[in-house]
Amino acid sequence: MDNNKKESTKDYLGKLANQVPENSRRDFLKQGVKFSSGLAATVASGSLIANNNLPPNVPSWSKSLGTGVVSTPYGIPSKFETNVIRRTVPWLTADKISSISMSPIQELKGIITPNGLVFERYHAGAPTVNPEEHRLMIHGLVDNPLIFTMDDLMQFPSESAINFLECPANGGMEWRGPQMEALQFTHGMISCCEWTGVKLSTLLAEVGVQTKGKWILAEGADGAGMSRSIPMDKALDDALIVYAQNGEMLRPEQGYPVRLFNPGWEGNTSVKWLRRLEIGDKPWHHREETSKYTDLMPDGRSRRFSYEQEANSVITSPCPENPWGQKGSYEIEGLAWSGRGKIKQVDVSIDGGVTWRPARLKGLVLPKALTRFSLPFKWDGAPGLLQSRAIDETGYVQPTISQLRDARGTNSIYHKNSIHTWKLQSNGKIKNVQLK
Amino acid sequence: MFSLNKVIIVLSIILATFVSGNTVAAETGHFGLGTKATKAEIAGWDIDVRPDGQGLPKGQGSVSQGEGMYEAKCASCHGMFGEGEGRWPPLAGGEDSLTEDRPHKTVGSYWPYASTLWDYINRAMPFPAPQTLSVEEVYAISAYVLYLNDLVEDDFVLTQDNLASIKMPNEANFYMDDRPDTSNTRCMKNCKDPKKIIVVESLRGITPEQEASESSTAASKPKLSAAAIEGKATYTSSCVVCHGSGVAGAPKLDDKESWAKRLEQGMDTVVKHAIDGYMGENGMMPPKGGNLTLTDEQVKNAVQYMVEAE
Repeated sequence: MDNNKKESTKDYLGKLANQVPENSRRDFLKQGVKFSSGLAATVASGSLIANNNLPPNVPSWSKSLGTGVVSTPYGIPSKFETNVIRRTVPWLTADKISSISMSPIQELKGIITPNGLVFERYHAGAPTVNPEEHRLMIHGLVDNPLIFTMDDLMQFPSESAINFLECPANGGMEWRGPQMEALQFTHGMISCCEWTGVKLSTLLAEVGVQTKGKWILAEGADGAGMSRSIPMDKALDDALIVYAQNGEMLRPEQGYPVRLFNPGWEGNTSVKWLRRLEIGDKPWHHREETSKYTDLMPDGRSRRFSYEQEANSVITSPCPENPWGQKGSYEIEGLAWSGRGKIKQVDVSIDGGVTWRPARLKGLVLPKALTRFSLPFKWDGAPGLLQSRAIDETGYVQPTISQLRDARGTNSIYHKNSIHTWKLQSNGKIKNVQLK
Repeated sequence: MFSLNKVIIVLSIILATFVSGNTVAAETGHFGLGTKATKAEIAGWDIDVRPDGQGLPKGQGSVSQGEGMYEAKCASCHGMFGEGEGRWPPLAGGEDSLTEDRPHKTVGSYWPYASTLWDYINRAMPFPAPQTLSVEEVYAISAYVLYLNDLVEDDFVLTQDNLASIKMPNEANFYMDDRPDTSNTRCMKNCKDPKKIIVVESLRGITPEQEASESSTAASKPKLSAAAIEGKATYTSSCVVCHGSGVAGAPKLDDKESWAKRLEQGMDTVVKHAIDGYMGENGMMPPKGGNLTLTDEQVKNAVQYMVEAE
């Protein structure tokens, strides 16, 4: 299996190199370190030690002592897993400071994204904020404008929820056609964590919102002063002021020491490094809700305040990075999610959507959270067109790319949640395709 | 502003429907946490501006004042005429392009409100030195960007009183989210004719290589001088925007040839150009890269870093 994997990755990168324009290929070469050093290490050491560590021999690590406690006071993944990292698409943005990276969802298990692998989106880089000097100010149409320290915020009763966080541009590179031969790049602008903090409604009660207060401006302490207008109903529903993720304080990338979190909504509304909430009677129409994060339609008009992330799904195994080897038994596995609630059902097709069979939902099925689906499959080596289709508890059925294009054209950038197709080839390799 | 008010009324009705029965707890200060925000504290942070002009500080700036400021602080990324350098955002042009195959979204062709321009420049620009512009500079640069879009005349003076009355051409073309806009059904069998399926493969092979972390090459890097180490932080915060990507004719960090050519004039001249600004054949260097909060020493160290770094 490892050998198959190695070979296919090599072939696959070789082919890529032939497809890219001359100057980008030079850029690639300059970057030096090639694919999957972790994988390569596994394979290399595998062949090196084949005679010593495999049965019937007793492996070397069973005949010696390992490292002691606190040799890594904050633990890190095995050295054989260095391929499991965030990656970016360099040509997507002007530079890395205002840019995005993707989570390696092709490598992840279950529904929780480890903190070091949560995708990053910065509008002016990730600032280094001293929690002792950080303040959250709430003012505007309130009876009692207040400034909170981090200690104040953590003294309130805390709440936790497992929710996905997704950039609305996830998949946005493929409105016109397939481009990315890797799941990490087609769908990796999503992560899912347990978020802990204080309910925004609790803080709003503390300051006393006046009846005219219908909107909230959330503003970050970063160099972008990232700002979004949030309607009061969301604030009173399930918005959290979050200071922890997956059991530890927020990572700097995720807004340390405190961020807003709007479950199910496009990620940028969950303003990081949150410094200020102003209550007002109207939205502010700031840059990140007019120039950006609005959806241009074919008639030249634009949808605004398109907050919700609609139901979406993708098969994570197999995928371009996780090809199949010989024919045999496999599990078609994937992730589904909806910003409107729980996933009710996921169906899988292997013939490009002619016939569908229901997949099983595995593990926790939570509202506005990543949900695992699974379909055991006996592969006879025949090529196929693999798809998954999510249905959420509102009854919304994930659309096809044609349905989405019919409704929105190809220039709306955000909120592309169409059924994704992987072309399974007879050699087990996977290509990213779209169906007309 | 009439149409905006209408939108707000509709929104308020929608919100009222959602919020009813779920009002904010009447009792204020239930937990007694936090300290009262004073007027001065609020004033220092309350920088936001709305389409109706609420939040604008008293002040003004003219197109002609804005021209020089724009060229010094904005043009290196956004282009002398707002056309955009490299992948940095263009600010002007694109009229009537929104229904075209490749729409050109700019301040003039797309942005619904002039207040957004003022607010964004004030909170986030210039990119390497946000929240460093004076109120007058923000008015003047905003006026100049409006002028680049033919929205005001060259003798225009933007003030806190006239900003809200500037009508942006695309304002009426925004509407509230009306999704779901698709209605797929859960078909299970014979959902389409398999003979009619057309498979579209990748447009281009543009997937980045999936390299592992860069740290493995760090060991072979030559040692930096103390000044260069000092300068690295400045480079990362203020210079990388242009010198990382090579926009506006900026020599890229790893472009030894370009740096060698410049160093022929001597290090002092290179540093002087970095501090005072310089107009070259291929582009321009704004004084201190547009971040005038940097000391001369910081700029000097940053240059040292760029010269030494590989």
